[in-house]
Amino acid sequence: MVGEVIDEPVGGDGTIVMDGLTKRFGAVTAVQDFTCTVHPGRVTGFLGPNGAGKTTTLRMLLGLVQPDSGRARIGGRAYEELNEPLRVVGAGLDGSSFHPGRSGRDHLRWVAATHGIDDARVDALLALTGLTDAAYRRVGGYSSGMRQRLALAGALLGDPAVLLLDEPANGLDPEGIAWLRGFLRALAAEGRTVLVSSHVLSEVQQSVDDILVIARGRLVLSGPLSTLGEPGVDVAATDLTALRSALTAANLAYTDGPNGRLLVTTRDPGEVGAVAHAAGLPLLHLAPIANDLEQAFLRLVATAEQARR
Amino acid sequence: MSRLIRSELLKLRTTRLWWGLLLGLLGLVALNVVPSALFAGQEFGAGVPASPGLQEIAGAQAAYGAGYQAGYLLVLVLGVIIGAVDRRHGTATQTFLATPSRGRVAIAKMVVAALAGLLYGLVAQVATVAVAAPVILARGAELRLGNADVARSLVLGIPGIALWGVIGVALGILLRHQIAAILVAVVYIFVGDVLLSGGLSLTGLDGAVAYTPNNASNAIVGGFTGFDLLEWWAGMLVLLSYGLLIALVGWLVGRNRDIV
Repeated sequence: MVGEVIDEPVGGDGTIVMDGLTKRFGAVTAVQDFTCTVHPGRVTGFLGPNGAGKTTTLRMLLGLVQPDSGRARIGGRAYEELNEPLRVVGAGLDGSSFHPGRSGRDHLRWVAATHGIDDARVDALLALTGLTDAAYRRVGGYSSGMRQRLALAGALLGDPAVLLLDEPANGLDPEGIAWLRGFLRALAAEGRTVLVSSHVLSEVQQSVDDILVIARGRLVLSGPLSTLGEPGVDVAATDLTALRSALTAANLAYTDGPNGRLLVTTRDPGEVGAVAHAAGLPLLHLAPIANDLEQAFLRLVATAEQARR
Repeated sequence: MSRLIRSELLKLRTTRLWWGLLLGLLGLVALNVVPSALFAGQEFGAGVPASPGLQEIAGAQAAYGAGYQAGYLLVLVLGVIIGAVDRRHGTATQTFLATPSRGRVAIAKMVVAALAGLLYGLVAQVATVAVAAPVILARGAELRLGNADVARSLVLGIPGIALWGVIGVALGILLRHQIAAILVAVVYIFVGDVLLSGGLSLTGLDGAVAYTPNNASNAIVGGFTGFDLLEWWAGMLVLLSYGLLIALVGWLVGRNRDIV
């Protein structure tokens, strides 16, 4: 089904690079020093609570919001520099930005007209997103799920190598969410870059390869999904430098966690305790972390938010 | 650019706005033209001087000119809506994703408003004659359509009306808020220009009076206004300049504005 309306991606490398993006709205810093790379061929989940700065970040990437500092590049170019941008990047930013008095099909047609895309493709995408029956009805009468589908169809018009979807699961029924998961996986498998934002990890958990976690405008975690959910041991010591050396000597991998703690990649707290004991290091905290992604996500966000108060 | 113009034309054609305004135009033309043709040359008493009668060319031009004024008011509103509609309905995001250059979008919208304005102008002028004819004939006067001045007024009124569409788009882009921009435009036409003309005249700047938007607009069709008017082509240039100038300011102010 995907193959009927989706050709091989064109426009070369769809790598997204954001470098130090910062945006302030008055006294509020919406996004601060946001730096990340989003890779083609993978589905990347852009996660964070509502108001964390996801939409502002995406809008900066798309040239709709001017960053106060930093820059964003798609395949090495700023969005404004793209020739026929819809053929490189497809974006579904929110489900409500349609004229209520215009039909879904006509909405797609005016967007398509800017790039010389014909009505046949419009109709194919309406069929793909299950909107054929509603195509000639005014969008004002659409459900939120139908608006989401229309936004997705709009994002796909130019057959883009990069797809950005802001909260695409909002308003979709469970069946629609399941379909969307499979669809996004298929697009990534074709080598496209797929970036999907959500405030609920469980919505995207089954379909993402990588995650970016944003809280209070800052990137707090990025990497493969397993970065978030790998079972680990949370440890704090009076002498962190010595603990790091001891862990490295014992061949235990770790990452710097929040609040001056280390997150050690192991299932066994006893193992970490033994290493510390052997090195004569007093511990302040030692606890296993369960492999519950949603919990880990919420904890991570809560910690980041506390750290900024 | 032609794709962008096609897209903006499609935007205009695919909501009910264009024919709603067209119906409004026909109604307003009738409301304006009937009394104008009916009372041309009439003494109202209370010392009000009579307007030129229908037997004079200026009287015929004034009667038909009432339709022109209805036409440009509606096309001004149409232009404002074309200029501001994307912000009102959130379609600005999709518009600027497809065409990141805000200047190009503004130009396309002005072209579309001018094209639509030509159509509305044609309808307005045809409707004007259709509505005025029975009234004029009933008063026993001639239609004067064969007169060069009257015919010129009616024909030049069409591009004259279209130019107001360009001004409307520029206002919509500058002021952004659709309802506020419509109010500003309409209040200016009915009150602002009169105050400006009077003010210029009072301060001894009589030479500038002909350059206000309303007077430049009236110059295109000629007729009775009580002011010395520009040549028709100069009136067109002045109106176009207003549109482009307001659009330029709107572009300068808004080209880096965040679309949220």
